[in-house]
Amino acid sequence: MSQPDIRDELNRSPVEPLLPVEKKLIGWSFGIGVVLLVALIAINQLFPLAW
Amino acid sequence: MSTTTDSPAWESTHSSSSPWINDDWLSVWIGLLIFFSALACLYGYDLLGWAVTTSVWIDPGQALSTVSKAYAALGGLGGLAVTYLALLAVLTVGAAALRANVLRFVAAFTVVFWFAYASWIVGSFAQIAAVTPADLQKYGISWSLKLTNEGGYIVALIAGLIIANAFPRFAEWLKEAIRPELYIKIAIVILGAFLAVTAVGKLNLATTVLMRGVAAIIEAYLIYWSVVYFIARKWFGFSREWAAPLASGISICGVSAAIATGGAIRARPVVPVLVSSLVVIFAVVEVLILPFLAQTYLWQEPMVAGAWIGLAVKTDGAAVAGGGITESLILAKSAAEGVRYQPGWILGTTATIKVFIDIFIGIWAFILGYIWTNYVNPSKSGERAKAIEIWERFPKFILGFVLTFVIGLAIALVAPAEVAGKLSLSIAEANTFRVIFFILTFFSIGVLSNFRKLWQEGIGKLAAVYLVSLFGFVVWVGLLISWLFFHGVKPPLAS
Repeated sequence: MSQPDIRDELNRSPVEPLLPVEKKLIGWSFGIGVVLLVALIAINQLFPLAW
Repeated sequence: MSTTTDSPAWESTHSSSSPWINDDWLSVWIGLLIFFSALACLYGYDLLGWAVTTSVWIDPGQALSTVSKAYAALGGLGGLAVTYLALLAVLTVGAAALRANVLRFVAAFTVVFWFAYASWIVGSFAQIAAVTPADLQKYGISWSLKLTNEGGYIVALIAGLIIANAFPRFAEWLKEAIRPELYIKIAIVILGAFLAVTAVGKLNLATTVLMRGVAAIIEAYLIYWSVVYFIARKWFGFSREWAAPLASGISICGVSAAIATGGAIRARPVVPVLVSSLVVIFAVVEVLILPFLAQTYLWQEPMVAGAWIGLAVKTDGAAVAGGGITESLILAKSAAEGVRYQPGWILGTTATIKVFIDIFIGIWAFILGYIWTNYVNPSKSGERAKAIEIWERFPKFILGFVLTFVIGLAIALVAPAEVAGKLSLSIAEANTFRVIFFILTFFSIGVLSNFRKLWQEGIGKLAAVYLVSLFGFVVWVGLLISWLFFHGVKPPLAS
């Protein structure tokens, strides 16, 4: 693909709406990530490792 | 090679008939060769003592020496020449295995090596590198930039940037030897042994760093990725084909992740290549800024600084080498304040964070590939993501890193005291090569960063996503998480 094509594609390509599976991927990833992080922080506070 | 779409992908561009011969595996073989050669010291054979090392200097004649006194007769320049010839020989064999243009590689590597190492020597000049008042007095100077001798990495980066942007044809000519991913992976394999020797005296602290590395995985894959993907798709209107590699590049570990994701979702090759180019540009900007911010604001929390660099700087090369700069800057500042930390822990934290994140690239790429080929863009031919892709996309250099770490640790813990006592010396020799590969990485990253050409390719909109995500989110969340998990954890004091 030539360079002008890429520039045009990036600037003028039609918007693709978020599919339900993408929304699920974003939502579940973020949700699980936050829950796991909070759990790790809690474990870290409750059972601090010695050094 | 310049970071342009008409360049081949900068990870591994040369196909080989064997899956065991690619940039990734080559880094393992070369890293292990250096590691095991260094271990010969344990049995009285000093195989690598001729390697060149550079001290902070005011008189150029005092800058270079061999790492082992056993080879002092060679002199600094002799050591440098032998180091160049040895690296040229080993890497040329590697280039031949990768089916690169060997003659072109020899010529280009020669230029790359001498430019890069000259940058390192310049960076060790006392008025750039000297840190403490005692150092200033020792060298008879009244001021210095206080960059430590690892400021040579910055000099190498700037030298590469000048070549890329002022002499693009020359940069293009060098491309056969511009292999930052190969160089940094070799360095990381060697780093495993160095970290083992560092960790052995403080196993509890090492375990703490490892346990807290888990948080980095969650942060990079689950939180960063989802937010960046959302921003790219919803706010900037990128297609799925562009948004997924972009999210992986910004969130996970830059080039490797963008390429793995691009392959997994069956994107056109141009997509991950362009994203990778962007990752390199931003990594350059980050490496020039973040270590100095860390030194200014986080010098009293060295491990937070190390973890932050690992989370914020994308691409293994820039992150791990940036961790090296951060460590030297913070150690220097702490020393000036009367606190002398053991070296290796800040860099070790950065490397641990990066390696932990890298381990899951294959799994994440498989998950995305599964979703894409089944739900987002199902192929009419029935092609689906396969589990074997997890192994195919696994960064193999991590195996080398783990191997050198485990062997180093085992020798330190199990071997008779007489043998274990020589371990630090032998790993110091291997570590000399780790530093040289860091220098080559920095120089290569600079040569890859042709800002003007990239802008002409229409990368502005991609850069806008990167800018918003990186400086609006990734850097700060990384700092918060690093603070939460490493706040109060200090490296051991130097004895």
